[in-house]
Amino acid sequence: MSELEQQDAAESCCYGERGGEDEGVMEECELEEMGEEDEEIDLYNEETFGIDLDERSDEETGDSTDILVFCGKRSPPPPPSPPPSTPTTPVPQPQVLPALSRGQRDRRVLRTGDMFEDPAVMRTVEGRPSLQSLDSAIVDSHIGSLCETLDPDTWMLSPYGRSRKALGPMLHDKAIITVIDRPDPARAPLDFLPPLRHPFATCPLRGSGKRGGQRGLHPLVRPLGQRYLSQMGPMLSRSPVRPRPAFSPPQPYMQPFTPKMMHLRFGAHSPSPAPFCSPSSHILQRFRFPGHVTQLHPQHRRLLSQRHQRSHRGDNLDPNGQLMSIKEKEWIIRLQMIQLQSENPHLDDYYYQEYYQRLEAKIAEEEMLGDKSKREPPKLTTPYVTKTETYTPVVHIEGSLGQVAVSTCFSPRRAIDAVHAAQSPEEPRFSEQEQLDSRKQRLVVLHNIEKCYMVLLEVEEAAKRKATVFSEEERERLEEKVQRRVKLIYSQLQYPANLETAEEFLPCLLVSKGKRLLARFLPFLSQDIALHVLKTVTLHLPVLMSRDVDEALPVMYPSLCTVIGRLSFSQLIGVLKGFTTTLPDSKERCLPMACQNKFGISLLYALLSQGERLLSSDTPMDAGIGDYETWTETVFLVARELSHSSLVEPLLLPSNLLSLFCRYLDKHTVHQLEDSMERSTAGCPAVPS
Amino acid sequence: MILLSLSYSKQYHLRELFYSFFKSLVGKDVVVELKNDLSICGTLHSVDQYLNIKLTDISVTDPEKYPHMLSVKNCFIRGSVVRYVQLPADEVDTQLLQDAARKEAMQQKQ
Repeated sequence: MSELEQQDAAESCCYGERGGEDEGVMEECELEEMGEEDEEIDLYNEETFGIDLDERSDEETGDSTDILVFCGKRSPPPPPSPPPSTPTTPVPQPQVLPALSRGQRDRRVLRTGDMFEDPAVMRTVEGRPSLQSLDSAIVDSHIGSLCETLDPDTWMLSPYGRSRKALGPMLHDKAIITVIDRPDPARAPLDFLPPLRHPFATCPLRGSGKRGGQRGLHPLVRPLGQRYLSQMGPMLSRSPVRPRPAFSPPQPYMQPFTPKMMHLRFGAHSPSPAPFCSPSSHILQRFRFPGHVTQLHPQHRRLLSQRHQRSHRGDNLDPNGQLMSIKEKEWIIRLQMIQLQSENPHLDDYYYQEYYQRLEAKIAEEEMLGDKSKREPPKLTTPYVTKTETYTPVVHIEGSLGQVAVSTCFSPRRAIDAVHAAQSPEEPRFSEQEQLDSRKQRLVVLHNIEKCYMVLLEVEEAAKRKATVFSEEERERLEEKVQRRVKLIYSQLQYPANLETAEEFLPCLLVSKGKRLLARFLPFLSQDIALHVLKTVTLHLPVLMSRDVDEALPVMYPSLCTVIGRLSFSQLIGVLKGFTTTLPDSKERCLPMACQNKFGISLLYALLSQGERLLSSDTPMDAGIGDYETWTETVFLVARELSHSSLVEPLLLPSNLLSLFCRYLDKHTVHQLEDSMERSTAGCPAVPS
Repeated sequence: MILLSLSYSKQYHLRELFYSFFKSLVGKDVVVELKNDLSICGTLHSVDQYLNIKLTDISVTDPEKYPHMLSVKNCFIRGSVVRYVQLPADEVDTQLLQDAARKEAMQQKQ
């Protein structure tokens, strides 16, 4: 036993992960020793089994990758009672004897703490990793263990780490035997929890790829190994890699084992691969597998030969380990872990969480009952993500007519209320009823406008066709159609249906869509009607300007400009009066407000420009009585206003304005005006009149 | 038979608007946001009546979260998984789009 203990101790320092840059380098003495041992073991194994065997002595720390080691307890066990092992030992003795007959060499091999001196045992253990590569559970374990080293926050928590350290010494023969003694099905899964250091380098998922491989193994290694052992054949089932361990009961697989081994309690009461592994240390030292068991799986064979190769290459990397860099491996693992992230681990990971809680309760109970050292069952948790982004499944966009359902692939559909419940934040001074009314009105207006748009599209199309069509009849027909429709639109715009309002056009003008419609519609109107519209706009300009939230007024500017360009002088004066008259509600005039509004000032400029153009042209004007006076008055007023207030940049600055002002004002004022206008029109294009 | 074809044509017209619209965007850079929250930026290569999108020269806007797309250059996106398509504003004539939508609505009613 003491020898075994020695071996175990040595093993605990030998075994372990050699992988990766961040692992410690194997001590030289150990290397030498292991090299020696390797050769011996290889020879030994060759003789016995005809294959080259590698020694797993490159394992460093106690976290043996060996399942045998692993399936034992996690804490340093008390020396296991020999009795369970002794009955087994004499039986395989005859088989062992030939091996042992090599004598000292083997002993030395055993002495190094490599408790799995038994080549058969080693093989089986080694075989597991290869199976691991094929079995999703084992693969998962690799990932898990990799993740552990990569990111402490992922699912392998620190208890893992602690238990890892404990694994090595834990996996003494005695410990294993003890485990066997106490078959605890509930504890069986525990074995899967502590990370295993995997000695096998052939597993492609190994992080380090160094001899001795893995950073930490997933305990799943065990059941797979067990399966392997039991089936001794290609039992490998390819299943999708899943980070969650997949436990499988070992029961059905125990038949191949000899009765002698059976008493090691395989099956339901065996702590999974433990029984098989556990005889490892001192039991299996002098124990050889039954003949049929020792027929190694070709995979195993390859694994062993690779190990052999690797050992002779010293610190070389896993032959397959250079395909991907460490970063790439980490990357893939993170990718897979992303799928594991859950905001509600208790729900997503219910079984495991529940199981773990029960386990803890049981352990606490056991602790209270017996004098056992505290065993911390390692805890695997899927990474918990606090999802900070929440999404509202039904979104009501401001000013929209309805609601939008935001669907993700996790929640595809969400019922939208027929009546949207969103309250508009504007107009807080109104009562709720008024708000509802205003909204209803708005809806009505919008509906009207949409209908007008439909007709307008027809009008536009007809007008386009009219230009291309050649026959007079056709043209007339189209013209008629156009006119009819225009009238329809006009009437609708003037007094929207279903709406009680005294103001012409105003409801439609207040809506930005209505402004756009009007802008497109104006070219189809006759000058008189268009003038009427212009007058209305000017009349309601303050209201329009104040309630122009979207700044849609400027869209009307081009069409209105065209209309203004066709104005006669008297008509112009009429329009200008709207600017200078005092508003009925306040003492203020429209003019100051207009100067502060882009559209307003542009309109003003356009009007003035038209007046100037008319006056400076040679065409005789049929001005009414008092028109000129009004004109002059207006000019003065405007000039004064412009020079006093800060101006907003207009959409267009007519170039003849200055000449207009020059005519009526003194040079000083003109200069002042010039400056203020130029200041405001930094980027405004000047238009020659 | 005729009625059937009419109804089919109606449905066809429903898709026709977006198909027609996206056709005008071929060759432009867009960002497609999928229903699984993946956002892919790329050049619109082609679109079909189901609004399946082919993008070339793609880049994932959030590579940290979706590293598996790093090596992908071109991709085909099934139309049904698209949530948004972010377009360059100057490539879109909103007025024309509105008119097209109205026309489509008219056609649907008829």
